[in-house]
Amino acid sequence: MHSIFARINNTSALLSSCMMALLAAIALSSLVFTAKPQGNVSIASVQVYSGNTRRYATKRQDLAFVDFNITADFTPLFNWNTKQIFIYLQAEYNSTLGVKNEAVIWDRIVRRKEEAHVNVVGKNKYNFRDLSASFKTAPPASYSLQYNIMPYVGALTWGEAARTSEPVAFPPRKARV
Amino acid sequence: MFTDELKAFRRLGFRHVLLQVLNFASVIASGLMIWKGLGIVTNSESPIVVVLSGSMEPAFYRGDLLFLTNPSSEQYKTGDITVYKIPGADIPIVHRVLETHDVPPKIDIRQYTKATKRSKSQPTSGKNSEHDNQLLLTKGDNNPIDDIELYRGLEWLEKKHIVGKVKGFLPYVGYVTIAMNDFPQLKYALLGGLGLLALIQRE
Repeated sequence: MHSIFARINNTSALLSSCMMALLAAIALSSLVFTAKPQGNVSIASVQVYSGNTRRYATKRQDLAFVDFNITADFTPLFNWNTKQIFIYLQAEYNSTLGVKNEAVIWDRIVRRKEEAHVNVVGKNKYNFRDLSASFKTAPPASYSLQYNIMPYVGALTWGEAARTSEPVAFPPRKARV
Repeated sequence: MFTDELKAFRRLGFRHVLLQVLNFASVIASGLMIWKGLGIVTNSESPIVVVLSGSMEPAFYRGDLLFLTNPSSEQYKTGDITVYKIPGADIPIVHRVLETHDVPPKIDIRQYTKATKRSKSQPTSGKNSEHDNQLLLTKGDNNPIDDIELYRGLEWLEKKHIVGKVKGFLPYVGYVTIAMNDFPQLKYALLGGLGLLALIQRE
């Protein structure tokens, strides 16, 4: 009854249940924080060139190059249970065939409150291409700034911070840079 | 020390041993039931996974525990963190969705996926006609480029490759299983110790 094993067992059981309760409380507490950051996305220019991706050196396809400006303040999202915020800019358009496309063209990981004022003039980090290998018939695309809050413990949440006011059309393909 | 235990063992007799074995079996069975029940609720073949690689750092490190769901009515979105398993690869991979292309059922998606060998044996026409077929491209947050090299010849991920979408996170806890995989002796020691304790326990 009072053997050393029983004592160790009881102590560790108590400790682990306390730990579980504390973690659950922290995870639940992040439901209280419901900040909605607001930002602004504007597309400076979109250009389409013919190029190839690294997989097929000989297969040519259209690649879109997007220059954009982002201003957004993600500081309200940082609370005691925020480990990092993953911000990403995505393009969305429905092709004429009815295919719904979403492609992330830029992202950033924000780990500290001090870096959460995002003010970026940039261009796409990832290849932006269409399934049909051409943007010729693609309708204008909207661009939106999304975020994913990743906690120290608990549920991951997603949200949208900004969106272009109106869709931006793809220009005709240019032959040379 | 062990003579005492052995004496106790003799005194308690065969029935006691049987009872303890039964208890042990019921513990294992209920664990399995909870696991499979969770799998049904979340529609995922493995609703809890342990992170095995560093490709999602600094979000997920080795040994972190992830809770997945895989609702069949929902499409995946960009920014979702999915766990996927490529046929022929033994380890599931935890990476973020970079591109989604929802292809309406009337368009044959095989023209994009190029998986000619497999699709010949099982024609997919009209199988899930109420949902769009989805083509996905993923990337690890800590990797500089997307995952095409990991797909073993596939052009795109499809819904059937995806085990689930990460909904919850618990740090470090899964490291026990990694430790047990890295040092198999630990696993046997733990299992043996537990079994022995269960047998000689009196209450």
